[in-house]
Amino acid sequence: MALALEINELVKRYPTGTEALKGVSLEIEDGEFFGLLGPNGAGKSTLIHCATGLAQPTAGAIRVFGHDAVHHYAEARLAVGLAPQDLNLDHFLTTAETLDYHGGYFGMPRRERRARATELLEAFSLTEKRDDRTRTLSGGMKRRLILARALMHRPRLLILDEPTAGVDVELRLELWHYVQRINAEGTTILLTTHYLEEAEQLCDRIAFMNDGRIVAQGTSRELAESYGVASLEDSYLELVGRKELSRAHVAGDQP
Amino acid sequence: MTATQIRLFTLVRREVTRFMKIKRQTLGAPMLETFLYISVFGAALGSRIDKLHGFDYVVFIVPGLIMMAWAMNAFSNNASSILQQKFQRAIDDQLASPASPLELLLAFSLGGFLRGMIVSTITFTAAALLVSIPVEHVLVLIPSLFLVGFFFAQLGVLVGVRAEQFDDISFYQTFLLTPLIFLGGVFYSAELLPEPFQTLTYFDPVYYMIGLVRYGFLGYSDTSVALSLLFLAAATLALFATNYRLFTSGYRLRA
Repeated sequence: MALALEINELVKRYPTGTEALKGVSLEIEDGEFFGLLGPNGAGKSTLIHCATGLAQPTAGAIRVFGHDAVHHYAEARLAVGLAPQDLNLDHFLTTAETLDYHGGYFGMPRRERRARATELLEAFSLTEKRDDRTRTLSGGMKRRLILARALMHRPRLLILDEPTAGVDVELRLELWHYVQRINAEGTTILLTTHYLEEAEQLCDRIAFMNDGRIVAQGTSRELAESYGVASLEDSYLELVGRKELSRAHVAGDQP
Repeated sequence: MTATQIRLFTLVRREVTRFMKIKRQTLGAPMLETFLYISVFGAALGSRIDKLHGFDYVVFIVPGLIMMAWAMNAFSNNASSILQQKFQRAIDDQLASPASPLELLLAFSLGGFLRGMIVSTITFTAAALLVSIPVEHVLVLIPSLFLVGFFFAQLGVLVGVRAEQFDDISFYQTFLLTPLIFLGGVFYSAELLPEPFQTLTYFDPVYYMIGLVRYGFLGYSDTSVALSLLFLAAATLALFATNYRLFTSGYRLRA
């Protein structure tokens, strides 16, 4: 069976000369819940943008369920749903239109779009807001709508770029439940987050990125073992060279 | 409908929805502007101006006004729409869809083209109610107006893609388009100008566009109709090809 996402020696160099990705290779199995962690500027978003067509790779290959994301982008993009970090909703559209237009961009017939939009508005408690313009929605509603939009065309791979940044506790848990459910239903998920407990709780496997490279990957237990520490957080701190911040040390230093 | 047709239709629908939701600004304002031109230049001043090439002054300027409405609206719609979507990053929803560069370019072009067409049609209808406007060569008029509309739609796309702030758009509009259109002879016949302005006018491409449209309506032109059409078609094609190259390369749209 084809991998959900297969990235081979991916390089992204911007015209300014900045090398955001320095030869990244990564394989995500079909059905997996995969976490991508790393400090700001590590290249996580660039990697996601290369996989979804928002950025153009300088070198290397990306395949989504076997489809080359650069040369056969149409098939590859059909299989991917992206919930980006920014709340990039179209201010001219209503909540329902946001889903309907997205479905249209992905070639869904009207009847199917209607049914799917109704289902998603209900699932994300947005039905009452269906005719409101997106700019009038609260931050939490915008976040939910972005996730609903990503799911609109029934992607087999869902990419979540920091979906819970700035989100309150209830919504975070709601989003967790929802993505766990769709993962259980067979959707592969690639999640980037700064919340380590989120990654630990949700992800089957995790990769650490730093300075444009994947520096370690495995289950959260494997990562902790490979760094010789007790937790995912501590292995992360090892990665970014800030082990003095470890809560184990802080606790241990208390008189 | 095939998936490609649904996609293209939705992409165009998004552009039309945008200007229809702010129609006071996108349709109302340009119509008021044209009405003011007709009243001030046509009714008030026009009664004191002799006939131009056998036509009442107000009749002489209406073809130019119709063309100007199409051109200005096609340009500003596309430039603003693209820049706004780039600002909000809402454009990522279209860019991460399976839409090809050609589909995206066509959709962004058609938005302004259609807005220009609506404003021009209403302008024509309103003018025709006030004064009798002949339509002498409809087979020259329609292709000429379509080409002018499409040319400025392309120019709008080009400026919108290149622009990084709204000032970039108003710069082109104020310092390039408005002078070229006004000095191209919307309100007068170039023959009335003293030298060197008469000769300078011949270097203004808009002069030939107005010539074509005026010929279509009034049957009078001081430029060569066939040559003007040929050049206009060539210029439109060249601009379209330039934009197509930009969209294929992802210039300022994809990182």
